[in-house]
Amino acid sequence: MKSLKRGLASDPNAANISSKVFIRSTKSGRVQKVVREQYLRKDIPCSSLLCSSCASTAVADANGVVPKFVLSKRPAGTKAFPNGHYLMPDTNVLLSGMDLFEESGHFHDVIILQTVLEELKNRSLPLYNRLMSLTRSEEKRFYLFFNEFRSETAVRRADGETINDRNDRSVRNAAAWYTSHLARATKKPPVIVVLTNDQDNRRKAKKEGINALSLREYVEGLDDADRLLDMVSQSAEGQESRALQGELFYPEYYSMSRMMTGIKAGTLHQGVFSVSPYNYLEGTVKVPAFDKPLLVLGREASNRSISGDVVVVELLPKDQWKAPSTQILDEDTLDQNENPDTEEQEESVVTENEKRALLEDVRRAHSASAETRAQPTCRVVGVMKRNWRQLVGTIDNVSGAGTGGRQTTVFLVPMDKRIPKIRIRTRQVEELVGKRIVATIDSWDRDTRYPVGHYIRSLGELETKEAETEALLLEYDVQYRPFPKAVLDCLPSEGHNWKVPADTDDPGWRDRRDLRNLLVCSIDPPGCQDIDDALHARLLDNGNFEVGVHIADVSNFVKPNNPMDVEASSRGTTVYLVDKRIDMLPMLLGTDLCSLKPYVERYAFSTLWEVTPDAEIVSASFTKSVIRSKEAFSYEQAQKRIDDPTATDELTQGMRTLLSLSEKLRQKRMDAGALNLSSPEVRIEADNESSDSLADVKTKAHLATNSLVEEFMLLANITVARKIQSVFPQTALLRRHASPPASNFADLSDQLKRMRGFELDVSSSKALADSLDRCVDPNHPFFNTLIRIMATRCMTSAEYFCSGSHAEPEYRHYGLASEIYTHFTSPIRRYADLLVHRQLAYAIGYEGQGSEVADESLRNKTKLERVCQNLNFRHRNAQMAGRASIEYYVGQALKARAEKTPGAAIDVDGYVMRVFENGAVVFVPQFGIEGLVRLEDFQLKSDEGTKRESSFDADNYRLTVFEKDREQQGVRVELFQQLKVRVSSEEKSGAREKGKRRVRIVVLSA
Amino acid sequence: MPLDTISTYAQTLLRQDGRRWNELRRITASISTQPSSDGSSLLTMGNTMVLCTVTGPREGRGQRDNTNATVETEINVAPFAQMDRRRRIRNDKRIQELQSTVSNAFQSHLFTHLYPRSTISISLHVLSLDGALLVACLNAASLALVDAGVPMPSILAAISSGSVTPTDDSSARPEPILDLNNTEEQELPFLSIATVAGQPGSEDKVSVLMMESRCQIGGANSKLESMMATGVDGCKQVRRKMEDVIRKHGARVIQGRK
Repeated sequence: MKSLKRGLASDPNAANISSKVFIRSTKSGRVQKVVREQYLRKDIPCSSLLCSSCASTAVADANGVVPKFVLSKRPAGTKAFPNGHYLMPDTNVLLSGMDLFEESGHFHDVIILQTVLEELKNRSLPLYNRLMSLTRSEEKRFYLFFNEFRSETAVRRADGETINDRNDRSVRNAAAWYTSHLARATKKPPVIVVLTNDQDNRRKAKKEGINALSLREYVEGLDDADRLLDMVSQSAEGQESRALQGELFYPEYYSMSRMMTGIKAGTLHQGVFSVSPYNYLEGTVKVPAFDKPLLVLGREASNRSISGDVVVVELLPKDQWKAPSTQILDEDTLDQNENPDTEEQEESVVTENEKRALLEDVRRAHSASAETRAQPTCRVVGVMKRNWRQLVGTIDNVSGAGTGGRQTTVFLVPMDKRIPKIRIRTRQVEELVGKRIVATIDSWDRDTRYPVGHYIRSLGELETKEAETEALLLEYDVQYRPFPKAVLDCLPSEGHNWKVPADTDDPGWRDRRDLRNLLVCSIDPPGCQDIDDALHARLLDNGNFEVGVHIADVSNFVKPNNPMDVEASSRGTTVYLVDKRIDMLPMLLGTDLCSLKPYVERYAFSTLWEVTPDAEIVSASFTKSVIRSKEAFSYEQAQKRIDDPTATDELTQGMRTLLSLSEKLRQKRMDAGALNLSSPEVRIEADNESSDSLADVKTKAHLATNSLVEEFMLLANITVARKIQSVFPQTALLRRHASPPASNFADLSDQLKRMRGFELDVSSSKALADSLDRCVDPNHPFFNTLIRIMATRCMTSAEYFCSGSHAEPEYRHYGLASEIYTHFTSPIRRYADLLVHRQLAYAIGYEGQGSEVADESLRNKTKLERVCQNLNFRHRNAQMAGRASIEYYVGQALKARAEKTPGAAIDVDGYVMRVFENGAVVFVPQFGIEGLVRLEDFQLKSDEGTKRESSFDADNYRLTVFEKDREQQGVRVELFQQLKVRVSSEEKSGAREKGKRRVRIVVLSA
Repeated sequence: MPLDTISTYAQTLLRQDGRRWNELRRITASISTQPSSDGSSLLTMGNTMVLCTVTGPREGRGQRDNTNATVETEINVAPFAQMDRRRRIRNDKRIQELQSTVSNAFQSHLFTHLYPRSTISISLHVLSLDGALLVACLNAASLALVDAGVPMPSILAAISSGSVTPTDDSSARPEPILDLNNTEEQELPFLSIATVAGQPGSEDKVSVLMMESRCQIGGANSKLESMMATGVDGCKQVRRKMEDVIRKHGARVIQGRK
């Protein structure tokens, strides 16, 4: 029998083939041995423009194109390297200092080794993506050198060598090769500078004659050192003196394998950690094993996790279970006078004040009534995934008493209340105080009380419009940069002169109905530029009506998968701030070519129904069309026109028909159990004369014409949803609103029952709608709205989904009481609608212009699910950004008012939404704001300035505020109570509130 | 996560195992490895290793075709062939399809009319698998059939080819690559192609073409055309290597007889 064994020695190519063998463990815990071939070669260029030998051997791709060489002939020099240098960072430097590498003035001519790239990708995917986009930019001159495949630089792991040592060695090896290679090419070769924060590695490099510097040492030699040094991560140096000296504040995390086995066995639980907006020491973790979230109380239990992290928790024994806190705790008020420098000497992680606050909790937990409400608590034992992002905040000027040039440690207080202060070191305290600053968290070790981070850049002065707007956009991760050229190149070349072709034989007219003769009009908020929708109605011969909803045909301009489409897909939605709109599509499309402006012809996607005068739908059809809007109304104008008895023209008649039909449709929807929900809405009225100051805050008026438009948009959405679902059973893009679990309403219904004796029936949306209707207080007309606002907060949020990922009964939209729903009517400002347009065009067999570019993704479920996920995220962020913007401007408006008429107090009605042991949350409908009222903000009849005390009746949601020993003269507030409050805008001393101009609410004694 | 081809290929023009676009993995082969069978071969392409034995042509039981021999194929992927040890179920649909693909390819390629009412059985054992399953099976069977002395007009040679399209730029031209390994097959669209040499002076003929992944066929940036062209060239390279193996073996046999 012949031996099957392959004799490698006889193979002439054996020297060129190496193999990479490594062991890895999979998610499910199995261990795999991976064997990969590696072909070593000599034709990988050094990519330096100085080198001619590499240029002659460089290999072309399949199309015969030789890639351009990247590293420049005359690289920048520093004091230490006057002849110029090429940088070669190791992985840790990139992990901690990516912001520095993105600086435009420095860090050019960088060699990224394959070893480093691969390790970076393993450690952090977002950083890898940032690095890859750097390598693609031409001016940065980053070169990917695949050192593992070049025979001279390939390194085999030696016996007993750790993987880190091997990677360090391969970096040194590559540097040595580059040095000798370049020396052969030119007389005065640029120096290869290895950047590594590992002291041991630097020592070895020195021995081998390679220039190695730490990131800090390198940056010190640059001309802009002071600013750049602040951006060097703290943990970067930490690596050098990792010897722990101080005390350990936090317990150690469990090992990964222990957590894995624990989760599998069900003894540990995994979930996302989120912090209460009212109490920074109280967090919750929602885990799949239980219906209700678990409580995490106190800093030790939350063990260095930051809101948003995916954590692993362990349940605490039953005697440590507690009721959720009824206190308002604010980091600023509690820990104001800490000094970041002396922190190491502190005794424990919990400060005295915090201890006192927790004490209150325990007292309450021990009282009889609380025992029944004690909830399971848990502590964090490990972090699966950090979700740290860039944070916007301000320097806490209490802490920074630094003198120029010297490095000082300061606290950066993030705008987001749920995130703890961050220690950063800076040399430019004076410049940074009073500015909005972007920073990032580097690490949080057991020996520091607060996380350690570093400065990235400054946005500008506090309370300037630019800085605040940018801060807000960064905070909510809104893409606000101008559209890149690749996107603008996708626009029609005619620009604003683009017109619907006059000749109906033009390809643009193919498969498009001519609806120019219809009396179409649009109704939008005043000043609206991106008009998505227009309507018409006319009487048919058989006594029924034809109603049409015409939506801007954006899909005609945005072709699938071109750069514009990709950009729109990542932006997801247009974001509306008070004074700014961040568009999803370039202006040209949004406000001109797509916008259904009056008196011009525009492409549209029309939905046409035949309805009986009782608003029964007889039939529906869809078509691409060309329309010519007769008029663009604002809601008010439309209302006036309808109400005007002298207007008898056909357009007005049509609008009246629409109005009466919409009322009937609305009634039907309400009968089916649609919820009439409420959210506080105000409008900021801009002062036209000076766009910078804002005149006033108005609550939004709701006109009949608002619901006219709304009803028909809902109808269009529902009709379209049915159609696309029938054609794409697996991949239709729909929108659902899950029924909220009854437990969500538990608190609210308990409060209503105890306080007012109303029952809240949450068995179905219909029952809920009816019971909400019954919650009426004849003395307080606003009471009902207040309850609706609170009920809305108990619900889950609606989400986009792909029809294949849920069972059909789950498609339901709870709030609208519709079996199926999607978004079709606003393609200019929502990407989901654009996709739905494409799906509908396919569904109706549209064969005109543009249909030849088939979009595979319409049928690709995994891709669509990814798109949905992004859209949901963007949508939520856009909403929050919008609200935050209004909140900021309300503050500014109040400030402006106070400046105009100093001394004039603004006294308005407020309603109590939540009661805590040491304060209450009061909602002020006139400004659409809600604010915390602390004990000292209660106006008492006899104010002697002594210490305030309070007694709190948790069962009856009642709080009595009084001065010490004067219980009789106290002020009593209870839930849902109407109050007189004084609203003012004031700059708070706490750094967190700073610049945000939090609105101060003072409860007046009645 | 290891690096992937798509994101770095455009800049480095290197694949994840250090090859260029038009380079084959190391191919080694030997024939007459199993003296007990009529024809046998052992072929490796990179880390894929296939052992093939051919029995026949011999009298086929129940064979009713009076004009031709029939070709039967059995493919057996060893449980230890891949990273995870797993036993393949008997009637794995994918394996069945590959079996009939191999049978059909040789049914039409071999001079089966010389052996009426008989059967040629090809039995393929995949000992180690790192991509190119069908390709390695076809090549190994081709060599074993030569060893068995079944007459054929030319050697059937197979190769796989794939296409890399940079993700960030839809207008970029797709780059074809040759002979994908397992990780590349997971990531990129690819096809398996086999050709037989035509008469001298004429083009090669495609005898097997199989694509199991999704890929854009039409349009300006069609991937298919470049993949096909690369594949046909690749087959030529493979055929040259196989011919070398056969010549060397023949030389040794003749030397042994002297």
